[in-house]
Order: sequence, then structure tokens, then C-alpha cells
Amino acid sequence: MNERSYSVSEITRMLKKSIEDNPEFTGVWVKGEISNLTYHSSGHIYFTLKDEQAVLSSAFFKYANKNLRFRMEEGMSVLALGSLTVYERRGSYQFIVTQIRLEGVGELLKRIERLKKKLLDEGAFDPSRKRAKPFLPRRIGVVTSPTGAAIRDIIKVAMRRFPNIEIVLAPAKVQGADAAESIVRALDELNRPAHGIDLIICGRGGGSFEDLMPFNEEPVVRAVLASRVPVISAVGHQIDHPLSDDAADYAAPTPSAAAEIAVPVKSELVEEIEYLSIRASSALASRLSGLGERLDAIAALRCFRNPREIVAMRELSLVDLEQRMTMALKEGISAGRQRLLSLPDLYRLWKTEARSRRSRLELARGAVDKLSPKGVLRRGYSLVTDARGRVIKTVKTIKSGESIGVMVADGSMGCTVNTVQREVRGGKEIIGKG
Amino acid sequence: MEKKSSAKAKPSFEKALEELEKIAERLEDGSLGLEESIAEFERGTRLARYCREKLDEAERRIEILQKGENGSVEKRAVRVKPDTGEIDDDDDMQGSLL
Repeated sequence: MNERSYSVSEITRMLKKSIEDNPEFTGVWVKGEISNLTYHSSGHIYFTLKDEQAVLSSAFFKYANKNLRFRMEEGMSVLALGSLTVYERRGSYQFIVTQIRLEGVGELLKRIERLKKKLLDEGAFDPSRKRAKPFLPRRIGVVTSPTGAAIRDIIKVAMRRFPNIEIVLAPAKVQGADAAESIVRALDELNRPAHGIDLIICGRGGGSFEDLMPFNEEPVVRAVLASRVPVISAVGHQIDHPLSDDAADYAAPTPSAAAEIAVPVKSELVEEIEYLSIRASSALASRLSGLGERLDAIAALRCFRNPREIVAMRELSLVDLEQRMTMALKEGISAGRQRLLSLPDLYRLWKTEARSRRSRLELARGAVDKLSPKGVLRRGYSLVTDARGRVIKTVKTIKSGESIGVMVADGSMGCTVNTVQREVRGGKEIIGKG
Repeated sequence: MEKKSSAKAKPSFEKALEELEKIAERLEDGSLGLEESIAEFERGTRLARYCREKLDEAERRIEILQKGENGSVEKRAVRVKPDTGEIDDDDDMQGSLL
């Protein structure tokens, strides 16, 4: 037993040296399938790379995995770059990974397809689940990177459309392995009622397929589905269509387009209100003016051309009365009418205090009341009807000897027509005599 | 009756605008009496004022959420350049991730 013996530490150190100094074990790419995956709270990722015959225990430390652009999953086929080390305390060797690549985009697509099918089967993308966005959002929440192009585009477009817009940005990491978690946190935060958010835009600007992967991750898709507040998904460019688009209530092709969907153009709404206001006041104005014309017609009906010829009214100065009456009416009506009919005035009218507007309308309405037939009768006019009770507007249908009715303010009389005269230009034509 | 309830139960902007449009249509088709027309017109005036107020209700404000002490979330108003939409802020915004 003369042979040299080593302590466990010594032999392990020798092994470590021979492995770690061997350039063949340093900076190598290893192809395998991920299993026993653990995302540790410290930020390190532990897993086993395996193929049909062997396994390789691997560690992907925080400093190295911070640039990982997707979330690793069990069963994923990857290429890992790293170096072999020996962990003396455990007597084990480990592959220390510095970089991981998916074996191909095909792998990612397969994952997306699997998740999409699962969600479809659950009915998560049913159109009936979609909520309507508010027509005029009170406050818009945005989930995206605070330094990316997306937030700039959203702010720019939203402010152009609605200058006094309110936006709350919940900053999130939008690429890399921990992006999904960050997006979910931001969505949850904006959903708190205290923020008063009634519409959320969630997304990012364009990027590589892998960059957009967080928006295909199940936690993000589920958070969008679970959002109490309606969500507009706005990821990348026109051609990108991540699962968050399917889950959201609205899918915008770009962040700028999302701002256009979310925010109405304020000046257009102001114009719409003015347009409707003017339509309403013009309609009322033409109604008043129509009533005015009817008043004129009633006034004309009362005024026989030659009042002195009418026995019952012989003593009255009708012409004078008629003129005073129609003048008063016309002034009242036309003052209101003119104001209402000229458009700039209408606009001003609209803007003035409701009280003064109302009193002007009362004035016009008062004038209308004065013109009701009863009111006219009280002022000495009478209403003449034929035997069937119809108002006589012309002498053409009246013959001498016919019975007519005369209505005055406090009663009526039955009369017989003595003579009928028709007024023609320049004189009278006697057309009948009793 | 209708007048009272619609004035009290603040309608949404969209509802108010729709109602204003209906009033303009009703006034235009001329089927209402004079009294009704004037009442509708006045209701339209109130709705239009309400809509305008709604549009001016908000104040331009861009805020960013950030983690405060003891894990609470705080809102901080930031300035932006309106032409570019750029946030004009000295703080390191990556540091403000929730």
C-alpha cells in the first residue's frame, strides 16, 4: 500500500481542473430538451438538458438569463451555450449556460398553436365575451415600456385627437423572459378601481418574432381575458397577430391605431353638438315663423275690406283696430323670428342664458295667444258662418236672403243676408240683392 | 317626468348626444305642439351644454405609475412633448417598472 492517496477534496479539485481547463468543455453549444425546469425566486433558472440516452444538469444564472427573450418551458428543444464546471461540495458537474436559443421558430409556433387551441376550446376567444369600449373614455391606462416607441405614439396621437386627455402609464417590461410577469402586474394594477381607468391599451412597438413572444404567453393572455376594464391589444406592426389580440376586446394593428380606436376626435364632437343645436333652433324658428303666418291669415280673415258696409260693425273704426292689432302682432313675432332665423344670431341665442331665451320665447308665445279667435272676438270682431256653421271667407258662395250666423265675444246671432257685394279691383260688383 | 329623470340621472356622453339628435329630428318633423316644441328645445339646450361640459371635464394629464416605498404604487405626473409624445422626464424610467 505504497501508492499515493488523495483526499476527496484533492481528487475533486483535479477533476475540476481537468474539466474546466479543457477548451472542449468551454463555450460549447449543447442541443437537448428541457426538463426539471425551475425558475428560482433568486432569478436563476435551473433545468436538465436531456436526450434519449443522457441528462446534463444545467444552471442559467440571473446575470446571464436577463437577456433571454422567451420563457423556457418543459419539453422545449433548445441549443444552450455554456461551459462545464464541477461543483465540489456536491461532487457533481454542471453545465453553466450563458445563452439559450430555441431550436427554431417552429418550436415557438407550435407552442402558440397549442395554447391557442386550448383557449379556443375553453371559449376564451368567443366574440360574445368582447366588451364595448366607452365612447368617451374618462381615463386611459397604457401597459407598455416607458421608453419604447409605443408610448410616444400613443401619447402623440391621443393628444392630437383629444387635447385634454388623461393617460396613466403602467410601465412594463415588454420583452425578455420576465416580460410576461411584468405585463400581468401592470394590467392588474390598472384594473384597480382606484385608478378610475375605463379603457386599457396593452402592447408594444414592432420587434422580432421572439421580442413579441410575451404577448403569446399564457399569463398575459389570461390577464387580458380577466381584465375588468376593456382592453385594446396593440402589438408590433400590421402583420403581427399575437394571442393577446385574440383575447382583447379590440385588436389594433399598431399602438398609434390603438390610440385612434380609443380616443374620439374632440373637435368633431364639438362640431356635432353645434350642428345638432343649430338644427334644433332652426326647426323651432321655422315653427314660430309658420305660426306667425297663420296669425296673419287669421287677421286678414277678420278684416273686411269695407267694414262700414257691414251693418253690425258700421260704427267701428275697424281699419284702425286692424292696423294696431296686426302691427303689434307682427312686431312681436318678427322680432323673435328674425333673431331665430339669422344663423349667427341663432348661435348667440343658443349661448345666452336660458332665462333670457325663455322670456323671448314667452313673448312670441304671448303674441300667439292674443291671436286666438276668441281673443280677437273680445276686441270687437265677429265671426260669420254659413247655415252649416262653416266660416265664410268669401262672398262667392253667399246669396241674398241666405241665413247666416254671426258670432261675437259673448254670443251669436242668426241673420239674413240683404245684399252681397264682391270687391273687385277699383270698385264693387253687386252680385245679388234681396 | 321624463325631463326630470334624464336631467338627474347623468346620462353618458353618448346617450346625451343621441338624445340631442332625436330632439333635433322631432323638432324638424314638426309634429310637436308649440309648447312641446319649446320644452324639447330647452331640453336640447341643456343636453348640448352637458355634452360640452363632458368634453371639457378632463384635464390633460399624463401620469406614470411607479413602485413607492413599502411596495405601494404611486402616480407621478410627467410632462410630455405634444409634437413627439416623448415623455420629458429626468428620472430613469426603466427603474420605475412595477
